[in-house]
This record gives sequence, C-alpha cells and structure tokens, in this order.
Amino acid sequence: MDAAAILGQLLVGLGRSMILFIVSAGLSLVLGVLRVPNVFHGSLYMLGAFVAWTVAEALGPHPAGLWLALATAPLVTAAVGLVVERLLLSRLYQREHLMLILFTFGVMLVLNDVVKLLWGPTYRSLVPPPSLQGAATVLGVALPKYNVVLLLAGPVVAAALWLFTQRTRAGKVSRAAATDRDMVAVLGVDVSRVFGLAFALGCFLAGLGGALVAPTTSITLGMDHSLLIDSFLIVIVGGLGNLWGALVGSLLFGVTQSLGLLVWPQFAVAFPYAVTAAVLLVRPTGLLRSAW
Amino acid sequence: MSARRRWIALVAGTLAAASVAGASAAPAVRFDRNIKVGVVDTYSGPPAVFGNDALNGFRLALQEINRDGVHGARIEFVTRDEKFNPEIGLSMARELVLQERVDVLVGTINSATALAISAFAREQRVPFLVWISKSEAITGARGHRYVFSTTENTAMAGKALAEAMVRRGYTRFWLAAEDYEYGHAVTNSFWRFVKRLKPEAELVNQTWWRTGEPDLVPYLTQILQARPQAAFFGTGGAGMANVMRTMQVIGFAQRVPSAIHTAIDVTVLRPLGTAAPEGVFGTTDYLYYYPDTPANRKFVQDFQAAFGGPPGFPAFHGYITGHFIAEAFRRARSLDRERFVEALEGLRIQTPVGEVEMRACDHQAVLPMIFGVTRRDPRFPHLVAGDPTVIPGANVMPTCEDIRRARERAR
Repeated sequence: MDAAAILGQLLVGLGRSMILFIVSAGLSLVLGVLRVPNVFHGSLYMLGAFVAWTVAEALGPHPAGLWLALATAPLVTAAVGLVVERLLLSRLYQREHLMLILFTFGVMLVLNDVVKLLWGPTYRSLVPPPSLQGAATVLGVALPKYNVVLLLAGPVVAAALWLFTQRTRAGKVSRAAATDRDMVAVLGVDVSRVFGLAFALGCFLAGLGGALVAPTTSITLGMDHSLLIDSFLIVIVGGLGNLWGALVGSLLFGVTQSLGLLVWPQFAVAFPYAVTAAVLLVRPTGLLRSAW
Repeated sequence: MSARRRWIALVAGTLAAASVAGASAAPAVRFDRNIKVGVVDTYSGPPAVFGNDALNGFRLALQEINRDGVHGARIEFVTRDEKFNPEIGLSMARELVLQERVDVLVGTINSATALAISAFAREQRVPFLVWISKSEAITGARGHRYVFSTTENTAMAGKALAEAMVRRGYTRFWLAAEDYEYGHAVTNSFWRFVKRLKPEAELVNQTWWRTGEPDLVPYLTQILQARPQAAFFGTGGAGMANVMRTMQVIGFAQRVPSAIHTAIDVTVLRPLGTAAPEGVFGTTDYLYYYPDTPANRKFVQDFQAAFGGPPGFPAFHGYITGHFIAEAFRRARSLDRERFVEALEGLRIQTPVGEVEMRACDHQAVLPMIFGVTRRDPRFPHLVAGDPTVIPGANVMPTCEDIRRARERAR
C-alpha cells in the first residue's frame, strides 16, 4: 500500500463526505434550533434528486441544465418544508417529543408516495454535462471529474452556513434559540418565524444534497433509507445540533469507509459504524458540544 | 406363431390403433371451468419495473392462448403485490391457494420469496412456476415435484461467465458484490466454476457493499489500484445501474476487464442511456434485437404494439410461462394438478428464442445464454451487446446428477 493509494482513497472519500455533510448539516440545524428529529429529511433528499433529474431532463443536453437543476431542486424542497412547517408542524411544538417524531414519520410516508406517484418506480439517471464526464487522474487515481464539484460544494456550503449563523441576525437568533428558546422569546423575538426559516433552510440543504448526488448514482425510490440512517449517526457522533459536529462526523464517516477499503475490503461496510460506536463509547454526547 | 396368437395380436393391434386415433381426433375433453393462475410478484417500489414487465409478457401470451382457449377454457389470472417481502409473498400465495383456489402459482422477482412460496407449494401440492428469481437453489438443492423455473439461474450465469473469462486467459480475479441473496449466489457460482475450470486461478481479494450503497467510487478506485487481471461483479436491479455508471465515469472496464451477469441486458442498459460503460462482458438469456429471427421479431412487434416499448428479459419469461402453462394443460387434458405437473415435465414449446424444454429431472427450463460485451450502436438509444454469441442452455446447466447430489446434500 503506497502513499499515492492512500491519498487517492482519501480524496474519493472526501467527495462522499461532502454530500453527507450537506445533508446532515440540514438535519443538525433543525435538531438544534427546533429540537425536531426530522425523519422526512431523507425523503426531501430523494425529492431533490428527482426534481434535479426532471429539470436537467427538460433542458436536454443544454450545458446549463445541471446548474439550473442544482439551483431549483433545493428551492422546491425548501418550499415543501416551509409549507409543512407553517401549516402543520408549527402547531405541534408544544407536544411531546414522540408526537413530533410520529408526525415527521407520517410526512415521510406521504412524501415517498408522492414521489412514487409523480415519477413511478423506475430508476433514473442524470448524465452530467460533457465537461464533467469522465475521470481526471489525480495522484494516479481515477477521480470522477464531477467529484471535484462535490469537493468544492462542501466548503462553499460550510462557509455559507458559517456566515449565516455568525453574521446575520436570523442566524444569531437561531443560535440563541438553540441554546435557550424561552429566553429568546422573552426578549421579544418572534421565535416562530425563526423556526420557520431554520426549518426551510434545513430542507433546502436536504434538497441540495439530493441534487448534488443525482449525477453520481441511480435516482430511485428507497435512495433515502441508508442516507437517513447515516445522517442521524453523523449528527449524533458530531454532537446534536452542532453544525461543525456534522462536518466532523461526515468526514469521519466518508473517510473511514474509503480508507477501510484499503485495509480490509470485505468488511469496509462496517468501518464507519465501528468508528461511530467507538466514538460514542468514549464520548456519549458526541465529539463536539451538543446543543441539547 | 399360432393362428390363435396371431388373431389376438391382430385384435390387440386394432384396439390400440383405434384408441390412438380416438385420442388424437376427439376434442373429447372439455374443461368445465376456466384455468386460474395466481401471480405473486413485486408491484411497488423499484423492483416493480421487472414485475410489471413479466406480467405484460404473460398478458400477451394469454391474449394468444385465449383466442382458441385450452380445451374450451380460458386462462384467467389474479395478481398480488408481495412488496419484495418474503413474508407478505407467502401469505399472498396462501390466500391465492386456499381462498382464490388457483390452479397454478406464478412469481416472483425475489429469490427469498420464491423459496418461501416453493416450500408452501410443495406442502399444498400446487404447481409453482418461478419466472424472474435467479437463485439456483430454486430448482437445485431445494427443488421438488411442484416447483418449476422458466428463468435462467445463478448457476447458469456463473458458469457462462466463468467459461468466457477463463477462455480469455484471465486468472487473477477480484470479486465485488452486493451483500444479499442474489449477490452471494451469483458470485459464489462464478468463482466455483472458475476454480473448477482453472484450479490455479487466484482470488486477489473481494469487496462486499450494502444493497443501495449510493457511492461506489471508493470501492471501484480501490480495485483499480490493486490491479487484478479481471473483476467480477455480483449486483442486480438499481445497484446494477450504480455499478455501471461508476464504471463508465472512471473508465473502469478499460483498465480492468469486468464481467457482470445482465450487463448486456436491455433492462439494465436502457434506463442508463449513454451513461453506460462500453467494454463490460455480460450475459443474459433474452435480447429483443438478437437473435434477429422471425419468431423473435413477431414477439417484439406484438409486445411493442400492446405495451409501447420493447420487452425486457422478464417479459420474455412471463410470455413463455404463459405458453408452458397452456401447453401443459392441453397435454394433461385435465385440470388435475398432478396430471399438469407430469405434462409439464420434459415439455418442449416454441418460443421467441427457439424451442425450449422444461427439463424433467429438475424442472428447469433449458434456456440459451447470450454472452456479449457492451457497445455503443448508433441505431439504438442505449448500449447493446456487441459480438453476441449464444451458448446452448445444456452447456451451462448443472447435470441431472449434480442436481440429485445437491438435493441429497440438502436433505
């Protein structure tokens, strides 16, 4: 095993980490601010992928198709999230936790059936524009050109989230609400609107993740399952509601899997979960400070 | 010979001749009710694509059969959705047999469901024809009097691919597969035959991933780095599409020759369009454009007219299943299940790919395998099988002796 092989696998693993980060950052945001474990987060990811496919397909071979798809899909999922939050979820915040989980679980079932109604059970393929097809050889490893997009998208999203939470009023309020929502309400801030915004942003990230992943995989019913489980694990490992925890967790997840393949390919599937378990044994509340 | 014995022989001969003539001339048998087939398959979720395709092929066969009927009866069917779940599938089969009183069971895409229904069919003595599931255990180790298969299986696919790859001189293999029943069955079968043909063949390493694993790039780049001489992939369904696309993106097949059962299949290549890789070795038992015979052309035209697209391999299996059932009831001249089973054993029918026999010893349809390599063709919107060759089914099927031993071991 040479250094180039390790670096190559690292690079490949980072691409996957970025998708995981974008999706679990959305999940973590909603968990942190609203205290809602959003079970239909994965369905929005799947919806994002299908919407991206439809947009790209409608524009045919036009090179802007993919970019327009990447822009549209997250807006659609954010809108779906906003409608669900304003009309239904916002009435349930006073209820106990189990009710909230049951509600989002119900929405998941509905959304999955809506996707089935609209797109049917066949799987779809989104072909990236010619400039992003094929592979570039980086450090002797064949890296799909499209993975470069993923490697860039992750840091861009991370930077945007940092700016939002640190530099904007809404971001600061949502951070404050995550820490002590009663105090924020007492200070005269309309917490409900902040919740709506944070929820829509979380759903936006789910859709963005789905749209970004669309050109790399089969777009199909059921693509949400494994991702939802992985995202929840990442959020728990990173620290509930901590955005940077989501980043650390995603890196840990994606990279242990790709490097695990070098060590012991038969059992590579188990590596991320083994690491998750090990982390939780040592630090039961996650690597970074939990917002809960 | 004495006069008396000659006389007896003459009488006996006349009687025999009369009875044969009577049998062939008389439309004497008339079924007093229609034949009812119970179909259990997946009609929701991603595998529904295959389930619906098979059902369409079956429908087309019934249209043809019911024009003249079978001894005055029509073949009817009812469907049940097993949702890719063996427990649901089994309870559906139970309901079809005990409440709907179907004469024959048909299904399913899920090998685990097929095996569960098969055990029930044996207990209830109801004939069960398996039309998509490819586990070789169905007509192999766990086969019995009442189960039949009208589809190729993992033993046939593994052997066909092993022979093709060994003939090309490859000896150092990497095995990569999805971690589920079919993935294990087809991979084990491939490797078993490679070792049988070339005992010195070397297994470089193996990789297993979860079904539905979204990102296969790390798995494939790692195999590239290990530089095996060739790779075998054991995947199916949507996972198949992921492997193919990832191979195309990183140019995998150009660097490591790869073999995958169903890689040249239309159901795999059509949804991928131009995102499919060239140069992947694959097998299937049906292609709508090859062999270009009048029988196949007619089937494809009729299917396209009825359903608006070309038939995939499940449609072909559904179609021959319908005709096997009809022909067996014609031969049996009775609605009795035991007579049906006996009539189906060894039965030969004409199909779009030529004559197909239902082998009597294991109830496995002797289907030819097509081997080819994926290739672009401007005449098609999807990749096709380049340099296709047909391997007769008898060459890739386990022998009756193999089956007998496998069943004994299972007992």
